Amino acid sequence: MKIVKAAIAGTLESSDLVVKVSPGDEGLDIIIHSEVYKQFGEQITAVVKETLSAFDITQGEIIVEDKGALDCVIRARVQAAILRGTASETIAWEKL
Amino acid sequence: MYSDQALTFETMDTHNVARREEVARFLTSNGLGIDDDIEQFVVARCHRDLVACAGIAGNTLKCIAVETGWRRTSLGLKVIHEAEVQAIQNGEHQLFLLTTPDNVKAFRGCGFYPLVTLDHRATLMENTPVGIQHYCRKLRAHHRVMAANVGGIVMNANPFTSGHLYLIEQAAKACDWLHVFVVGEDLSAFSFQDRFAMVKEGARHLKTVTVHPGSRYIISRGTFPGYFLKEKQIVNEVYAAIDLILFRQYIAPALNIRQRFVGTEPFCKVTAQYNRAMHHWLEDETIMTDAAVRVNEIPRITDENNLPISASAVRRALKKNDLNTVKRMVPATTMPYLIRWLSHHLFTESDCGLANV
Repeated sequence: MKIVKAAIAGTLESSDLVVKVSPGDEGLDIIIHSEVYKQFGEQITAVVKETLSAFDITQGEIIVEDKGALDCVIRARVQAAILRGTASETIAWEKL
Repeated sequence: MYSDQALTFETMDTHNVARREEVARFLTSNGLGIDDDIEQFVVARCHRDLVACAGIAGNTLKCIAVETGWRRTSLGLKVIHEAEVQAIQNGEHQLFLLTTPDNVKAFRGCGFYPLVTLDHRATLMENTPVGIQHYCRKLRAHHRVMAANVGGIVMNANPFTSGHLYLIEQAAKACDWLHVFVVGEDLSAFSFQDRFAMVKEGARHLKTVTVHPGSRYIISRGTFPGYFLKEKQIVNEVYAAIDLILFRQYIAPALNIRQRFVGTEPFCKVTAQYNRAMHHWLEDETIMTDAAVRVNEIPRITDENNLPISASAVRRALKKNDLNTVKRMVPATTMPYLIRWLSHHLFTESDCGLANV
Protein backbone atom coordinates (compact mmCIF):
# COMPACT_ATOMS: atom_id res chain seq x y z
CA MET A 1 0.00 0.00 0.00
CA LYS A 2 1.08 3.57 -0.66
CA ILE A 3 0.66 6.76 1.28
CA VAL A 4 -1.47 8.89 -1.06
CA LYS A 5 -1.83 12.10 0.91
CA ALA A 6 -0.06 13.94 3.68
CA ALA A 7 -1.45 13.29 7.16
CA ILE A 8 -0.52 13.85 10.76
CA ALA A 9 -1.37 12.09 14.03
CA GLY A 10 -0.43 12.61 17.65
CA THR A 11 0.91 15.50 19.70
CA LEU A 12 4.30 16.63 20.95
CA GLU A 13 3.33 16.40 24.60
CA SER A 14 5.64 14.41 26.83
CA SER A 15 5.11 10.62 26.48
CA ASP A 16 3.39 11.08 23.12
CA LEU A 17 4.69 11.40 19.56
CA VAL A 18 3.77 12.99 16.25
CA VAL A 19 3.74 10.88 13.10
CA LYS A 20 3.71 12.71 9.77
CA VAL A 21 3.23 10.71 6.61
CA SER A 22 3.39 11.92 3.02
CA PRO A 23 3.60 10.37 -0.44
CA GLY A 24 7.11 9.55 -1.62
CA ASP A 25 8.40 8.31 -4.92
CA GLU A 26 11.36 6.30 -3.74
CA GLY A 27 10.08 3.44 -1.65
CA LEU A 28 9.70 3.73 2.09
CA ASP A 29 11.58 6.49 3.84
CA ILE A 30 11.45 6.41 7.63
CA ILE A 31 12.97 9.22 9.68
CA ILE A 32 12.84 8.94 13.45
CA HIS A 33 13.72 11.64 15.94
CA SER A 34 13.40 10.83 19.61
CA GLU A 35 14.44 12.39 22.88
CA VAL A 36 15.32 8.90 24.04
CA TYR A 37 16.83 7.67 20.79
CA LYS A 38 20.10 6.65 22.41
CA GLN A 39 18.39 4.27 24.81
CA PHE A 40 15.38 3.15 22.79
CA GLY A 41 16.10 4.03 19.16
CA GLU A 42 16.23 0.43 17.99
CA GLN A 43 13.04 -0.49 19.79
CA ILE A 44 11.16 2.55 18.42
CA THR A 45 12.36 1.79 14.89
CA ALA A 46 11.27 -1.83 15.23
CA VAL A 47 7.76 -0.86 16.42
CA VAL A 48 7.33 1.68 13.61
CA LYS A 49 8.51 -0.77 10.96
CA GLU A 50 6.33 -3.56 12.34
CA THR A 51 3.25 -1.35 12.26
CA LEU A 52 3.99 -0.21 8.72
CA SER A 53 4.49 -3.73 7.47
CA ALA A 54 1.26 -4.90 9.16
CA PHE A 55 -0.48 -2.46 6.79
CA ASP A 56 1.75 -3.41 3.90
CA ILE A 57 3.00 0.14 3.45
CA THR A 58 5.77 0.04 0.86
CA GLN A 59 5.91 3.62 -0.31
CA GLY A 60 5.89 6.97 1.45
CA GLU A 61 7.79 9.27 3.73
CA ILE A 62 7.26 8.63 7.44
CA ILE A 63 8.55 11.17 9.94
CA VAL A 64 8.37 10.33 13.63
CA GLU A 65 8.91 12.96 16.30
CA ASP A 66 8.93 11.02 19.56
CA LYS A 67 8.71 12.46 23.06
CA GLY A 68 9.27 9.24 24.95
CA ALA A 69 6.09 7.35 24.11
CA LEU A 70 5.36 3.76 25.07
CA ASP A 71 5.26 1.12 22.33
CA CYS A 72 1.47 0.91 22.36
CA VAL A 73 1.23 4.67 21.87
CA ILE A 74 3.74 4.57 19.00
CA ARG A 75 1.71 1.82 17.35
CA ALA A 76 -1.55 3.73 17.78
CA ARG A 77 -0.15 6.99 16.35
CA VAL A 78 1.47 5.28 13.37
CA GLN A 79 -1.80 3.44 12.66
CA ALA A 80 -3.82 6.65 12.86
CA ALA A 81 -1.44 8.47 10.50
CA ILE A 82 -1.52 5.58 8.00
CA LEU A 83 -5.32 5.39 8.04
CA ARG A 84 -5.49 9.12 7.36
CA GLY A 85 -2.71 9.04 4.77
CA THR A 86 -3.99 6.12 2.77
CA ALA A 87 -7.57 7.35 2.87
CA SER A 88 -8.71 3.78 3.37
CA GLU A 89 -12.44 3.40 3.09
CA THR A 90 -12.48 0.04 4.77
CA ILE A 91 -10.43 -0.43 7.88
CA ALA A 92 -8.97 -3.88 8.41
CA TRP A 93 -9.64 -3.89 12.12
CA GLU A 94 -8.11 -7.30 12.63
CA LYS A 95 -4.71 -5.85 11.76
CA LEU A 96 -4.90 -3.14 14.38
CA MET B 1 -0.53 28.25 39.33
CA TYR B 2 -2.11 27.86 35.90
CA SER B 3 -4.47 25.11 35.00
CA ASP B 4 -4.66 23.47 31.60
CA GLN B 5 -8.32 22.73 32.13
CA ALA B 6 -9.39 26.29 31.41
CA LEU B 7 -7.48 26.48 28.11
CA THR B 8 -9.35 26.77 24.84
CA PHE B 9 -7.95 27.12 21.35
CA GLU B 10 -9.57 28.91 18.47
CA THR B 11 -8.69 30.00 14.96
CA MET B 12 -9.49 33.56 13.98
CA ASP B 13 -9.45 35.36 10.69
CA THR B 14 -7.36 38.54 10.47
CA HIS B 15 -10.10 40.18 8.39
CA ASN B 16 -12.02 40.66 11.59
CA VAL B 17 -10.67 44.04 12.68
CA ALA B 18 -11.58 43.84 16.36
CA ARG B 19 -10.02 40.40 16.73
CA ARG B 20 -6.93 41.45 14.82
CA GLU B 21 -6.54 44.45 17.14
CA GLU B 22 -6.73 42.18 20.15
CA VAL B 23 -3.95 39.95 18.80
CA ALA B 24 -1.89 42.97 17.79
CA ARG B 25 -2.12 44.32 21.36
CA PHE B 26 -1.13 40.93 22.75
CA LEU B 27 1.87 40.73 20.41
CA THR B 28 2.94 44.27 21.31
CA SER B 29 2.85 43.45 25.01
CA ASN B 30 5.18 40.56 24.20
CA GLY B 31 7.57 42.71 22.20
CA LEU B 32 6.41 41.62 18.74
CA GLY B 33 4.76 43.34 15.80
CA ILE B 34 2.06 41.92 13.58
CA ASP B 35 2.81 41.04 9.94
CA ASP B 36 0.34 42.05 7.25
CA ASP B 37 0.46 38.81 5.29
CA ILE B 38 -0.94 36.75 8.16
CA GLU B 39 -4.35 35.35 7.23
CA GLN B 40 -5.20 33.49 10.40
CA PHE B 41 -4.21 33.36 14.03
CA VAL B 42 -4.49 30.35 16.25
CA VAL B 43 -4.96 31.67 19.77
CA ALA B 44 -5.14 30.10 23.20
CA ARG B 45 -7.41 31.60 25.84
CA CYS B 46 -7.55 31.00 29.54
CA HIS B 47 -11.08 31.99 30.45
CA ARG B 48 -11.32 35.10 28.31
CA ASP B 49 -7.72 36.22 28.29
CA LEU B 50 -5.43 35.68 25.36
CA VAL B 51 -2.43 33.70 26.59
CA ALA B 52 -0.74 32.56 23.39
CA CYS B 53 -0.95 33.02 19.64
CA ALA B 54 0.62 31.83 16.39
CA GLY B 55 0.06 33.47 12.99
CA ILE B 56 -0.41 31.56 9.74
CA ALA B 57 0.61 33.18 6.43
CA GLY B 58 0.14 30.53 3.77
CA ASN B 59 2.81 27.94 4.52
CA THR B 60 4.62 30.00 7.15
CA LEU B 61 4.08 30.29 10.88
CA LYS B 62 5.17 33.52 12.52
CA CYS B 63 4.24 36.14 15.11
CA ILE B 64 4.25 33.47 17.79
CA ALA B 65 3.99 34.57 21.40
CA VAL B 66 3.23 33.06 24.81
CA GLU B 67 2.19 35.15 27.83
CA THR B 68 5.06 35.48 30.35
CA GLY B 69 3.36 33.52 33.15
CA TRP B 70 2.74 30.56 30.83
CA ARG B 71 6.21 30.27 29.40
CA ARG B 72 7.45 27.34 31.42
CA THR B 73 4.42 25.23 30.58
CA SER B 74 3.89 23.30 27.37
CA LEU B 75 1.55 25.99 26.03
CA GLY B 76 4.00 27.08 23.32
CA LEU B 77 4.15 23.51 22.07
CA LYS B 78 0.36 23.25 22.08
CA VAL B 79 -0.27 26.45 20.20
CA ILE B 80 2.34 25.54 17.55
CA HIS B 81 0.74 22.13 17.19
CA GLU B 82 -2.75 23.64 16.85
CA ALA B 83 -1.40 26.05 14.23
CA GLU B 84 0.23 23.18 12.34
CA VAL B 85 -3.03 21.23 12.34
CA GLN B 86 -4.92 24.32 11.14
CA ALA B 87 -2.37 24.86 8.33
CA ILE B 88 -2.77 21.22 7.30
CA GLN B 89 -6.51 21.75 7.16
CA ASN B 90 -5.80 24.73 4.89
CA GLY B 91 -3.90 22.33 2.63
CA GLU B 92 -0.37 23.33 3.69
CA HIS B 93 1.60 20.33 4.93
CA GLN B 94 5.13 21.55 4.56
CA LEU B 95 5.53 24.54 6.79
CA PHE B 96 8.13 27.16 7.44
CA LEU B 97 8.56 28.98 10.70
CA LEU B 98 10.28 32.33 11.09
CA THR B 99 11.90 33.18 14.37
CA THR B 100 15.03 34.61 15.95
CA PRO B 101 18.10 32.42 16.46
CA ASP B 102 17.73 32.30 20.27
CA ASN B 103 14.33 30.63 19.94
CA VAL B 104 15.53 27.84 17.67
CA LYS B 105 15.94 25.40 20.54
CA ALA B 106 12.37 25.89 21.72
CA PHE B 107 10.92 25.39 18.24
CA ARG B 108 13.20 22.44 17.64
CA GLY B 109 11.17 20.74 20.37
CA CYS B 110 8.01 21.48 18.36
CA GLY B 111 9.23 19.45 15.39
CA PHE B 112 10.76 22.31 13.39
CA TYR B 113 14.31 22.13 12.02
CA PRO B 114 16.58 25.08 11.22
CA LEU B 115 17.22 25.73 7.52
CA VAL B 116 18.91 29.09 7.27
CA THR B 117 20.16 31.49 9.91
CA LEU B 118 20.90 35.11 9.21
CA ASP B 119 23.43 36.48 11.74
CA HIS B 120 21.57 37.18 14.96
CA ARG B 121 18.46 38.41 13.26
CA ALA B 122 16.37 35.57 11.92
CA THR B 123 16.15 31.84 11.41
CA LEU B 124 13.95 30.04 8.91
CA MET B 125 12.89 26.58 10.08
CA GLU B 126 10.80 23.87 8.42
CA ASN B 127 8.61 21.17 9.88
CA THR B 128 10.54 18.25 8.44
CA PRO B 129 14.10 17.14 9.10
CA VAL B 130 14.59 16.09 5.48
CA GLY B 131 12.66 18.58 3.29
CA ILE B 132 15.49 20.53 1.70
CA GLN B 133 17.76 17.47 1.55
CA HIS B 134 15.14 15.50 -0.39
CA TYR B 135 14.50 18.40 -2.72
CA CYS B 136 18.22 18.82 -3.44
CA ARG B 137 18.69 15.08 -3.84
CA LYS B 138 16.00 15.09 -6.53
CA LEU B 139 17.52 18.09 -8.29
CA ARG B 140 20.92 16.39 -8.20
CA ALA B 141 19.63 13.05 -9.44
CA HIS B 142 17.48 14.33 -12.30
CA HIS B 143 18.96 17.63 -13.39
CA ARG B 144 22.62 17.88 -12.48
CA VAL B 145 24.65 18.52 -15.62
CA MET B 146 28.32 17.76 -15.67
CA ALA B 147 29.63 20.97 -17.15
CA ALA B 148 32.13 23.50 -15.94
CA ASN B 149 29.99 26.55 -16.28
CA VAL B 150 26.38 26.16 -15.15
CA GLY B 151 24.08 29.15 -14.71
CA GLY B 152 20.74 29.83 -13.08
CA ILE B 153 17.86 32.30 -13.41
CA VAL B 154 14.85 32.74 -11.15
CA MET B 155 11.88 34.46 -12.79
CA ASN B 156 8.22 35.02 -12.14
CA ALA B 157 7.38 35.63 -15.84
CA ASN B 158 4.08 37.34 -15.15
CA PRO B 159 3.72 37.11 -18.16
CA PHE B 160 6.75 35.85 -20.12
CA THR B 161 8.09 38.75 -22.25
CA SER B 162 10.71 39.20 -24.98
CA GLY B 163 12.82 40.65 -22.16
CA HIS B 164 12.72 37.33 -20.30
CA LEU B 165 13.50 35.49 -23.51
CA TYR B 166 16.45 37.78 -24.19
CA LEU B 167 17.76 37.22 -20.66
CA ILE B 168 17.51 33.45 -21.09
CA GLU B 169 19.20 33.54 -24.49
CA GLN B 170 22.05 35.75 -23.30
CA ALA B 171 22.57 33.61 -20.19
CA ALA B 172 22.46 30.37 -22.19
CA LYS B 173 25.14 31.78 -24.50
CA ALA B 174 27.32 32.66 -21.53
CA CYS B 175 27.31 29.20 -19.98
CA ASP B 176 27.36 25.50 -20.82
CA TRP B 177 23.98 24.80 -19.23
CA LEU B 178 21.25 27.00 -17.79
CA HIS B 179 18.63 26.21 -15.15
CA VAL B 180 15.58 28.47 -15.17
CA PHE B 181 13.30 28.39 -12.13
CA VAL B 182 9.78 29.74 -12.50
CA VAL B 183 8.49 31.12 -9.19
CA GLY B 184 5.89 28.65 -7.99
CA GLU B 185 3.80 30.89 -5.77
CA ASP B 186 0.33 31.50 -7.18
CA LEU B 187 -0.08 35.12 -6.15
CA SER B 188 0.47 36.74 -9.53
CA ALA B 189 -1.89 37.85 -12.30
CA PHE B 190 -1.06 34.74 -14.31
CA SER B 191 -1.34 31.30 -12.76
CA PHE B 192 1.80 29.27 -12.11
CA GLN B 193 0.63 26.73 -14.67
CA ASP B 194 0.41 29.38 -17.40
CA ARG B 195 3.66 31.09 -16.44
CA PHE B 196 5.53 27.78 -16.40
CA ALA B 197 4.10 26.79 -19.80
CA MET B 198 4.95 30.19 -21.31
CA VAL B 199 8.59 29.92 -20.21
CA LYS B 200 8.87 26.31 -21.33
CA GLU B 201 7.51 27.06 -24.78
CA GLY B 202 9.46 30.28 -25.11
CA ALA B 203 12.73 28.50 -24.33
CA ARG B 204 12.00 25.31 -26.27
CA HIS B 205 14.44 26.18 -29.06
CA LEU B 206 17.35 26.37 -26.62
CA LYS B 207 18.92 22.95 -26.19
CA THR B 208 21.01 23.70 -23.11
CA VAL B 209 18.23 25.06 -20.91
CA THR B 210 16.20 23.24 -18.23
CA VAL B 211 13.03 24.97 -17.04
CA HIS B 212 12.13 24.01 -13.48
CA PRO B 213 8.93 24.56 -11.58
CA GLY B 214 9.87 26.74 -8.61
CA SER B 215 9.67 25.22 -5.18
CA ARG B 216 8.87 26.59 -1.79
CA TYR B 217 12.62 27.08 -1.41
CA ILE B 218 12.82 29.64 -4.23
CA ILE B 219 11.22 33.06 -3.69
CA SER B 220 8.15 31.50 -2.19
CA ARG B 221 6.07 33.37 0.31
CA GLY B 222 7.86 31.40 2.99
CA THR B 223 11.32 32.50 2.05
CA PHE B 224 10.52 35.93 0.73
CA PRO B 225 7.13 37.40 1.61
CA GLY B 226 8.19 41.00 1.03
CA TYR B 227 8.52 40.27 -2.66
CA PHE B 228 4.80 39.77 -2.88
CA LEU B 229 3.94 42.92 -0.97
CA LYS B 230 5.15 45.42 -3.47
CA GLU B 231 2.68 48.16 -2.78
CA LYS B 232 4.73 49.01 0.27
CA GLN B 233 7.86 49.38 -1.85
CA ILE B 234 9.88 48.14 1.08
CA VAL B 235 11.92 45.02 0.77
CA ASN B 236 12.38 43.31 3.98
CA GLU B 237 16.11 42.80 3.78
CA VAL B 238 15.91 39.85 6.10
CA TYR B 239 13.67 37.90 3.77
CA ALA B 240 15.77 38.68 0.71
CA ALA B 241 18.86 37.52 2.56
CA ILE B 242 17.19 34.29 3.68
CA ASP B 243 16.05 33.51 0.16
CA LEU B 244 19.52 34.13 -1.26
CA ILE B 245 21.40 32.21 1.43
CA LEU B 246 19.09 29.26 0.81
CA PHE B 247 19.96 29.43 -2.89
CA ARG B 248 23.70 29.63 -2.22
CA GLN B 249 23.78 26.96 0.50
CA TYR B 250 21.50 24.35 -1.00
CA ILE B 251 20.25 24.85 -4.55
CA ALA B 252 23.38 26.15 -6.27
CA PRO B 253 25.59 23.32 -4.93
CA ALA B 254 22.97 20.68 -5.83
CA LEU B 255 23.03 21.74 -9.49
CA ASN B 256 26.58 23.02 -9.53
CA ILE B 257 25.33 26.52 -10.41
CA ARG B 258 28.25 28.94 -10.55
CA GLN B 259 26.52 32.06 -11.75
CA ARG B 260 23.10 33.61 -11.58
CA PHE B 261 21.68 35.93 -14.22
CA VAL B 262 19.26 38.74 -13.70
CA GLY B 263 17.96 41.67 -15.76
CA THR B 264 18.87 45.20 -14.69
CA GLU B 265 15.98 46.84 -12.92
CA PRO B 266 15.51 50.55 -13.59
CA PHE B 267 11.91 50.84 -12.35
CA CYS B 268 10.83 48.63 -9.53
CA LYS B 269 12.51 49.46 -6.22
CA VAL B 270 11.84 46.06 -4.69
CA THR B 271 13.50 44.18 -7.53
CA ALA B 272 16.36 46.70 -7.72
CA GLN B 273 17.06 46.21 -4.03
CA TYR B 274 16.82 42.47 -4.48
CA ASN B 275 19.45 42.69 -7.21
CA ARG B 276 21.75 44.61 -4.85
CA ALA B 277 21.17 42.04 -2.13
CA MET B 278 22.06 39.32 -4.65
CA HIS B 279 25.53 40.74 -5.14
CA HIS B 280 26.10 40.75 -1.40
CA TRP B 281 24.67 37.37 -0.37
CA LEU B 282 25.70 35.34 -3.41
CA GLU B 283 29.09 36.81 -4.26
CA ASP B 284 30.73 37.83 -0.99
CA GLU B 285 33.37 35.24 -0.06
CA THR B 286 33.74 36.47 3.51
CA ILE B 287 30.21 35.97 4.83
CA MET B 288 29.97 32.19 4.48
CA THR B 289 32.01 29.19 3.47
CA ASP B 290 29.65 27.99 0.73
CA ALA B 291 31.00 28.57 -2.76
CA ALA B 292 30.14 31.99 -4.16
CA VAL B 293 27.71 32.36 -7.05
CA ARG B 294 28.61 35.10 -9.50
CA VAL B 295 25.81 37.54 -10.29
CA ASN B 296 25.50 38.81 -13.86
CA GLU B 297 23.15 41.70 -14.50
CA ILE B 298 22.13 41.79 -18.12
CA PRO B 299 20.87 45.15 -19.44
CA ARG B 300 17.16 45.21 -20.15
CA ILE B 301 16.11 45.52 -23.80
CA THR B 302 13.60 47.96 -25.29
CA ASP B 303 10.94 47.37 -27.92
CA GLU B 304 11.03 48.94 -31.40
CA ASN B 305 9.50 52.16 -29.99
CA ASN B 306 12.33 52.38 -27.49
CA LEU B 307 10.07 51.51 -24.55
CA PRO B 308 11.68 49.28 -21.94
CA ILE B 309 10.13 45.82 -21.95
CA SER B 310 8.83 44.59 -18.66
CA ALA B 311 6.09 42.28 -17.51
CA SER B 312 4.41 45.17 -15.71
CA ALA B 313 4.37 47.21 -18.94
CA VAL B 314 2.73 44.25 -20.67
CA ARG B 315 0.12 44.01 -17.92
CA ARG B 316 -0.59 47.73 -18.18
CA ALA B 317 -1.05 47.40 -21.94
CA LEU B 318 -3.28 44.37 -21.45
CA LYS B 319 -5.38 46.36 -19.05
CA LYS B 320 -5.94 48.98 -21.74
CA ASN B 321 -6.61 46.22 -24.24
CA ASP B 322 -3.71 47.62 -26.27
CA LEU B 323 -2.73 44.45 -28.11
CA ASN B 324 -0.34 46.22 -30.47
CA THR B 325 1.89 47.27 -27.62
CA VAL B 326 1.60 43.82 -26.08
CA LYS B 327 2.67 42.15 -29.32
CA ARG B 328 5.81 44.27 -29.46
CA MET B 329 6.86 43.10 -26.02
CA VAL B 330 6.20 39.38 -25.91
CA PRO B 331 7.40 36.42 -28.00
CA ALA B 332 4.87 34.76 -30.30
CA THR B 333 4.71 31.75 -27.97
CA THR B 334 3.27 33.93 -25.19
CA MET B 335 0.41 35.45 -27.24
CA PRO B 336 -2.04 32.51 -27.08
CA TYR B 337 -1.87 32.63 -23.26
CA LEU B 338 -2.52 36.35 -23.19
CA ILE B 339 -5.46 36.12 -25.55
CA ARG B 340 -6.97 33.26 -23.61
CA TRP B 341 -6.32 35.13 -20.40
CA LEU B 342 -7.96 38.32 -21.73
CA SER B 343 -11.07 36.43 -22.67
CA HIS B 344 -11.33 35.00 -19.15
CA HIS B 345 -10.30 37.88 -16.93
CA LEU B 346 -10.67 41.53 -16.35
CA PHE B 347 -7.83 43.26 -14.61
CA THR B 348 -8.33 44.35 -11.08
CA GLU B 349 -6.16 46.94 -9.37
CA SER B 350 -4.57 44.45 -7.02
CA ASP B 351 -3.36 42.28 -9.88
CA CYS B 352 -1.31 45.17 -11.17
CA GLY B 353 0.57 45.58 -7.94
CA LEU B 354 1.80 42.02 -7.87
CA ALA B 355 5.28 40.73 -8.51
CA ASN B 356 6.54 41.19 -12.02
CA VAL B 357 10.03 39.78 -12.45
